[in-house]
Amino acid sequence: MNAFDWSVVWYAVPYLCQGALVTLELSALAMLFGTTIGAVAGLLSLAENVFVRGLVRCYVYFVRGTPALVQVFLVYFALPQFGLELSAFWSGVVALAFNSGGFIAEIVRSGLQSIDTGQTEAAKSIGMTNRQSVLFILLPQSLRRITPPLTNEVITLVKSSSLLSVISISELTRSAQAIIAAKFTPFELYAELAVFYLIIISILAKFSEYVEKRLA
Amino acid sequence: MSTGPLLRIRGLSKVFGDIAVLDRVDLDVVLGEIVMVIGPSGAGKSTLLRCINRIEVPATGDVVVDGVNMAGDMRDGRLVPDTSVATARKRQRIGMVFQRFNLFAHLSALDNVAIGPHRVLGLAKSEARAVAAELLARVRLSDHAAKRPAQLSGGQQQRVAIARALAMKPTLMLFDEPTSALDPELVGEVLTVIRGLARDGMTMLVVTHEMRFAREVGTRLLFMDGGRVIEDTAPEIFFTRPATDRARDFLTRVDEREHSAAV
Repeated sequence: MNAFDWSVVWYAVPYLCQGALVTLELSALAMLFGTTIGAVAGLLSLAENVFVRGLVRCYVYFVRGTPALVQVFLVYFALPQFGLELSAFWSGVVALAFNSGGFIAEIVRSGLQSIDTGQTEAAKSIGMTNRQSVLFILLPQSLRRITPPLTNEVITLVKSSSLLSVISISELTRSAQAIIAAKFTPFELYAELAVFYLIIISILAKFSEYVEKRLA
Repeated sequence: MSTGPLLRIRGLSKVFGDIAVLDRVDLDVVLGEIVMVIGPSGAGKSTLLRCINRIEVPATGDVVVDGVNMAGDMRDGRLVPDTSVATARKRQRIGMVFQRFNLFAHLSALDNVAIGPHRVLGLAKSEARAVAAELLARVRLSDHAAKRPAQLSGGQQQRVAIARALAMKPTLMLFDEPTSALDPELVGEVLTVIRGLARDGMTMLVVTHEMRFAREVGTRLLFMDGGRVIEDTAPEIFFTRPATDRARDFLTRVDEREHSAAV
């Protein structure tokens, strides 16, 4: 076994920092869009309109039933077919948002449905419409229950962003791979890469712990 | 509309599986009547109330409140079913109080009462809160306005729930076993509030197991069994001279229970 080459580890730090920045940008944007899509889809999954509910169910079915990697390729290669020329970066954001939106929709739906039916009945009894009771009664009460699984989903999203290396976005993983190709030091770089992800995820986890406490 | 009864029910049925929980019920209630509904569990008392405001959708039959058909509107002699939004609108003036209170868990007592006037009736938040504060004073809970439901006793929660219903200025109040989930020492404070409403002339249907209260406060008494109204009479007559065997049976059993409780 060769000795662990620390020099290449230090050499890689600035490149990986740059990659990490792209990963954070990608993830933040995907999180923003994904949460929006997921919240709307989750609320709509309790709509009275059967067609709307069916549409949401199809979306969730597709996202859950196909690998994220396949979704990334699909978005990257399919969107141009419909005349939508996006950069690799934005294709990546769309793919990640599409993916996490499906899971967040399920998180929101199950959160809403976990609230006691007496709450809905009381809302109805004072003349609230279905929409009002979901927005003003069920949603605020389910926020606290939604937060922990939502945190998990955000962590998954950050890690999934490594998949975007396949469509040549210079995010964290791709940056490490570029150095490996030049220096032939896969062990050092993948170890370093793991540490980078761990740091990002740890910060996220701390933040969500704080949010959870605030909502409690 | 002042002509005719405030509440008119015709042929109301509700079926769960093979069981008719509510079996062709007819009922007229005029303004100011205080109708006590009693009977064994499973008699269909709660279902009757829940079918009136369509929290439960009846299988057949008509419910007309203040001249408004709760199921839909007549057009060209045919009943066109309401959209869910129209149903919600029709529910506004029918207050309901639940056995388990069902206060909104994330809101203070004050906001539990204010949210209806604010979100449903469209009052400004400050106005809605002023209305709510008045109603909380009426159920003597002004000191607890800022508390969440979990910080209140059962009796206090139920009084907030009554205030919440009153905030919508109902023409008809439905009480679904309002004291059944309460510790015995908390029953009195809730009954006092309901008595007050009765004195003010509120029209109401009260499903209850409190026989003394039913006898004292009711102007009319329905005895239900097997999804049907078996007796419909004055409380005094029902408790002294019940007309049917089933009612006599029921009263004997209730008597025994109360005696054993007293010992």
